[in-house]
Amino acid sequence: MTLENWQEQLRRGGLEFAVLLTLTGSPRYGFEIIRHLEESTDLVVNEGTVYPLLSRLAGQGVLLTEWVADEGPHPRKYYRLTRSGRERLETMMQHWETFAGKINALAREARGGAR
Amino acid sequence: MKLSQAGEARVRGYLFVLHRSLASFMPTDTARDSIREVESHIRERVAQVDGVVDEKAALEKILAHLGTPMKVAQAYAAEITFDEAVATGRPLPVFRALWMASTTVRGFFVAMALLVGYALGAGLIAVAALKPIFPQNVGLILRDGIPVALGAMFPLPPGSEAAGGYGLILVCLLLGAAALMVTHRMARAFVAWWRTRLKGPTEE
Repeated sequence: MTLENWQEQLRRGGLEFAVLLTLTGSPRYGFEIIRHLEESTDLVVNEGTVYPLLSRLAGQGVLLTEWVADEGPHPRKYYRLTRSGRERLETMMQHWETFAGKINALAREARGGAR
Repeated sequence: MKLSQAGEARVRGYLFVLHRSLASFMPTDTARDSIREVESHIRERVAQVDGVVDEKAALEKILAHLGTPMKVAQAYAAEITFDEAVATGRPLPVFRALWMASTTVRGFFVAMALLVGYALGAGLIAVAALKPIFPQNVGLILRDGIPVALGAMFPLPPGSEAAGGYGLILVCLLLGAAALMVTHRMARAFVAWWRTRLKGPTEE
């Protein structure tokens, strides 16, 4: 696997988690989610991949959607976490913390050994 | 930035192609909803462009960042159809995903091979089901003592006979179930691989 492929796998795996994290506060519409992700991560390479992901999460009952027509010059589709979405996010956060902790420990050990 | 007529036509063209792609595998309402959302995204991006700019270049940049209609449709397919097939493994979503994959050359040949596997399994089970009903016509068909087929013939040609007793039922049931299980396993593996390929590197 090339370095680019590895980075791509990481990005792909992280996108769903990042989208759910973005929605922990108030509801956001698709473009707002993308803008937030672009400002705080480099996970969004093609914007067109975020909407299918949102669509799937909504289909799985992780997100609730609502079209708001009178807010901007055009209708916006808002997303918010459902109860099961919050539970899923909580589980994902626990897994992530454990996973990242172990990998960071390995990286620290490797750095220490390299010196 | 306010779009000119040419800009509006470009956006409508993009959405038209995307809608056609999505409608080929999505329920109409879902496809329409997705198009509405993608349009909303494009208009948000267009509204963000300030000052006097080259409209064509700015719009092309927005659409390129979104991805070609085909790429966006593939992303929807990967997330919805293929995800359901991989996650559930249920025959219907797997068949739907195979049908979509069969629109490419490689997908077509793999789908054909899998179809043969499914047909073989279903055929063997059909033989097992028909044997008790038509014992004289179903079984290992022998012509002049030489096996020529396994299945059913109505009527049997002169000089032919259906060999194999009721033990054939058990053999066909086991072989048929095994063929179906192995084929379906391979279909799921293929769909999972295809899904990874569809979601593949997002860089243009």
